Amino acid sequence: MKTLLAFLLPCVLLAAGPLPPCCRPALAAGQPTDKSLYLLDSTWTSDVGRQIKLGALRGRPQIVAMFFTHCEYACPILVEELKGLERKLPPEVLGKVDFLLVSIDSKRDTPAALATFREKRQLTRERWTLLRGEADDVRELAALLGVNYTEDARGQFAHSNLITLLNADGEVAFQHAGLKQDPASLIAAIEKAARGAQR
Amino acid sequence: MRLALHLVVSCIALCAVRAAQPGMAAIPEATYRPLFRGEKDAKEIPITAFQLDVRPVTNGEFLAFVREHPRWQRSQVKRLFADERYLAHWASDLDLGNARAEQPVTNVSWFAAKTFAASRGKRLPTTAEWELAAGAGFTERDGAKDADFQAEVARWYATPSPAVQPDVGGRANVFGVRDLHGLVWEWTSDFNSGMVTGDARGDSGLERQLFCGAGSVGAKDTGNFAAFMRFGFRSSLRAGYTVHNLGFRCAKTP
Repeated sequence: MKTLLAFLLPCVLLAAGPLPPCCRPALAAGQPTDKSLYLLDSTWTSDVGRQIKLGALRGRPQIVAMFFTHCEYACPILVEELKGLERKLPPEVLGKVDFLLVSIDSKRDTPAALATFREKRQLTRERWTLLRGEADDVRELAALLGVNYTEDARGQFAHSNLITLLNADGEVAFQHAGLKQDPASLIAAIEKAARGAQR
Repeated sequence: MRLALHLVVSCIALCAVRAAQPGMAAIPEATYRPLFRGEKDAKEIPITAFQLDVRPVTNGEFLAFVREHPRWQRSQVKRLFADERYLAHWASDLDLGNARAEQPVTNVSWFAAKTFAASRGKRLPTTAEWELAAGAGFTERDGAKDADFQAEVARWYATPSPAVQPDVGGRANVFGVRDLHGLVWEWTSDFNSGMVTGDARGDSGLERQLFCGAGSVGAKDTGNFAAFMRFGFRSSLRAGYTVHNLGFRCAKTP
């Protein structure tokens, strides 16, 4: 049975492509720093269905935004800005950082909805993690990042458009507020964080 | 006989609805109408009955909590969960110093408040719940119709916060809740749901409407400046912040 599983598992993985950054083998457990977001104990579900703690992302800088898939206004621009960064970063930096999208819509953004979004927006599994969480955990993460959000009568969320850079230890290293702002400082911060990456 | 029994039963049922646990007041089901109205905003938020602490959590109560939970003591707490000013007005981890036990506890982060509430089998009130309770006057459920109450609230918001906080125990509102105005600002579970932010350059048009002078045109009640201030203040906070005049109280779903 075990051998069969060992044989089948890689096939399944191959079929779907590589696993997203959240779901690869984590760094050996270490104590998160006092300011690390990886102190949070909340559990999140990836679009590939895997349940993780944020600490699984330790070791590589993360470029983080909160969004929701039904968004009609700002989020498509926000995600497009992140993809723009992905195009702009030099390959040696890009190889050391990941992108993390966390949904604020606990009701509608199931893993399947996130997977559809990934496909539609062509977010590669090499670099992009898409997560959903329970409402309280989303509220907590947003409160830490400084992302304010509220659901309007039509089920759209008004929310801050904030891109956060977490360093390899999960500490907030830089924040970029607003859409269509010059990303030069953000890019400089990403390059600096990439130099400190452990894997 | 039957009628008597019926009466007794319905009385018990009623009392059960009304009764709150000691130290808490029962707030009946109601509809909260938010102050701000972006065009697409929910205009009415139904609130189910809940219980609210009649007074803010005090230094004395918070001291008991950090004794039970050492990782929330001043020297132990992780920076992620509370900034450098956490409990800065106490002399040390377990010594209130010049702070009095009956003053509302301040310099506590949202995480600390939330964890305290959970340790007591409670939770933080939502912003809507808090605002609903805070909108009630001394004698009227609608505080806007209570002139005494309006004058008291305006007086507090017009006064700079004192260097030394008074003790808890102000005049009770119609629900029996005290000190919602007049002592300290208070954390709510979803404090970050307000869209009035300082750095709103790229936020949706909603928040600019709110803070610019003309923005108040969209507000439900332009006379309620106090509520404007609360919304602005809350939306500028982050979960780890501690502020010298920001405390909290707990709520509970009955």
